[in-house]
Amino acid sequence: MSETTVTLAHGAGGRQTSELIARVFQAHFSNPEFTADDAAVLPQPGGRLAMSTDGFIVSPWKFNGGNIGKLSICGTVNDLSCMGAKPLYMTCGFVIEEGFPLDDLEEIAAAMEKTAAEVGVKIVAGDTKVAGKGQCDGVFITTTGIGQIMEHAHTSGAYAKPGDAVIVSGDVGRHGCTILIARDDFGIGSDVDSDCAPLWGTVERMFEATDQIHVIRDATRGGVGTVLYEIAEQSNVGITLDAPSIPVDPRVKGVCGMLGLEPLYLACEGRLVIFAPQEEAQKLVDALHECPYSRNAAVIGHVTAEHAGRVVMETEIGTQTMLPQPKGELLPRIC
Amino acid sequence: MCVGLSAKVVSVEDGTALIDANGATREVSAGVLDDLEPGDFVMVHAGVAIAKITEDDEAETAGLLEGLL
Amino acid sequence: MNETIRAAREIITGYSGRPLRIMEVCGTHTHEIFRLGIRGLLPESIDLISGPGCPVCVTAVGFIDEACWLALEQGCIVCTFGDLIRVPGTEMSLAGARAKGADVRPVYSPLDAVEIAKENPDRQVAFLAVGFETTTPSACLAAKQAKAAGLKNFSLLTANKTMPNAYQALVGSADAFLYPGHVNAITGNAVCQRLCEEQGVSGVVAGFTAAELLTAMAVTVKLLGEGKPFFRNCYPRVVRDEGNPAAIRLMEEVMEPCDSEWRGLGMIPGSGMKLREAYADYDARIKYHMPVITGRPNPACRCGDVLQGKCRPSDCKVFGKGCTPLHPVGACMVSDEGACAAYYQYATN
Repeated sequence: MSETTVTLAHGAGGRQTSELIARVFQAHFSNPEFTADDAAVLPQPGGRLAMSTDGFIVSPWKFNGGNIGKLSICGTVNDLSCMGAKPLYMTCGFVIEEGFPLDDLEEIAAAMEKTAAEVGVKIVAGDTKVAGKGQCDGVFITTTGIGQIMEHAHTSGAYAKPGDAVIVSGDVGRHGCTILIARDDFGIGSDVDSDCAPLWGTVERMFEATDQIHVIRDATRGGVGTVLYEIAEQSNVGITLDAPSIPVDPRVKGVCGMLGLEPLYLACEGRLVIFAPQEEAQKLVDALHECPYSRNAAVIGHVTAEHAGRVVMETEIGTQTMLPQPKGELLPRIC
Repeated sequence: MCVGLSAKVVSVEDGTALIDANGATREVSAGVLDDLEPGDFVMVHAGVAIAKITEDDEAETAGLLEGLL
Repeated sequence: MNETIRAAREIITGYSGRPLRIMEVCGTHTHEIFRLGIRGLLPESIDLISGPGCPVCVTAVGFIDEACWLALEQGCIVCTFGDLIRVPGTEMSLAGARAKGADVRPVYSPLDAVEIAKENPDRQVAFLAVGFETTTPSACLAAKQAKAAGLKNFSLLTANKTMPNAYQALVGSADAFLYPGHVNAITGNAVCQRLCEEQGVSGVVAGFTAAELLTAMAVTVKLLGEGKPFFRNCYPRVVRDEGNPAAIRLMEEVMEPCDSEWRGLGMIPGSGMKLREAYADYDARIKYHMPVITGRPNPACRCGDVLQGKCRPSDCKVFGKGCTPLHPVGACMVSDEGACAAYYQYATN
């Protein structure tokens, strides 16, 4: 294959499609279950299964600390992990813009391979479509995963209980901040890097420490703040945060200070929000500190029966205030 | 009405200053501050350094209150 | 909590004198007071009133309509501070215009809008110049840079406002003002000093950190108790008495006073700034022969009354129904610290 970019012919289903699959995808995703047929044939796992799907669009496709390939594996792996499910198999669908460099595509596939290998999840089927120039932005990826739920894991956003401790597995807002810098819309320089990471190993370690875990949710779009409001509503409880104990990287503070943004609402891609009984909290935090992606995990608050559906902040000056509700688009402010 | 950012001046050239706030850097206009030098602290608003400042709010506020009590 | 904060807190929480009304003029003060939960500290006898110092809240509906006209009818790239994007106009906000295909870009600085004009020589670029004396120098620098570079595709839609005449309109509405620290960093303290000496209006210049805000409030409470009009600069690390003379000269060179409409307060003579004739080529209203666009606020919305303390947010018919933080009808619902949005967070849910 002599071309250096993806062409519409690569998506036409003929020989060139096969060549693309051979060069990029088979080369990186090869495992016994990776199918050349219409569907992957898999052994039947026992017990309860978790299944999840997620689409990935990120501009630029490469950023400090990762790329869309790594992101697309982490996203689905983390969704499964939050249910206490060991990720077993994944599929991935690509929509690639005509003209996208093949070398870049390989870089993306290599990142997917590496991340999947770290977790031990197998990519068993894939699909490639090529969109005309301008019909998509570079490359879009959708991944779907199946995982086997550990017998003693019973987590749900509806299970938070008054008295639970609220734990975050690391500093908040790094991915969102990194993308903001990478887009360069505001002329700000920073070496902040994404927290993008696969968290199955982390969750496995948590369940070794205790199976008394009520909620695990990965904070992605909308950040930790959005997750907290979701859980408060789903479980019909109040959440009180201790503002000074929320870990924020100083580089994120710097960028947020410049643009007037709240780190709790910036996206994460490698952070879990965990609700567990107060007496289990220290065990969990200790376990998290042993794992590579959660060295600065911290208890950031607790669950209350009062003010159900709301998130209250205890501030640095010993007062209480409401965490503003999430509003979607993050806009820099001067006022 | 005005979010301000206190930052340290890294360098100054042709009316433009490179400022650093916790590792976040940006070029801002030094057009309304004449004698900026690297190492100065400034208050930045909307891409313009509007005032030279002292870095620390603690000593200052402590002094203000002492005068009252 | 450091000693200063503790001491300031004690002065404020321990106050037991006559009822006091303190107005924080600046929207960023309102924001920080909200974020820090300072209202929760106040004894019943201290009432903290939010003033008109949020450019979003005081921006007239017609200004948003003008901006949408530039974006949709003239095909301009409209550059704006992010604050304005969700503010409702008569028919739509700038976010709504963007959904209809308008090119609306949030920027950090007006100078970035000049760069966008340089990078897009085939497009027209308009910057929405709102804000008070703190922000106006940045718009003036943008106009100057565009003129110096001979740009033919850059203009400003101005709604800049100045504080002195607004203070006059507010005299009597509070026992003391918390003056906006970053406005005074530009203008200096003379106006505030005169208000004290000539009209007996008390106030302190306040900074923005927890220690600065609480200290300024503690000083205010303490001095109000003594009964004599006072002025204090509680933000000297940033604010000098003379302000920033170079910034003042720049504003005088590029802009001149005009009448300006404030949402809630109406037309205040001489409270606005517009480009001087030498910069007419960079005035979007002149450049595009803009028709007179008069905004029609939603008649049910009572933001104006809310801003003047004439009614509570919950007295408004659309509050919490047609008007919510996700779908604001009035400006007071747009930003978290806007009176209606703050009230909504606590009262509902």
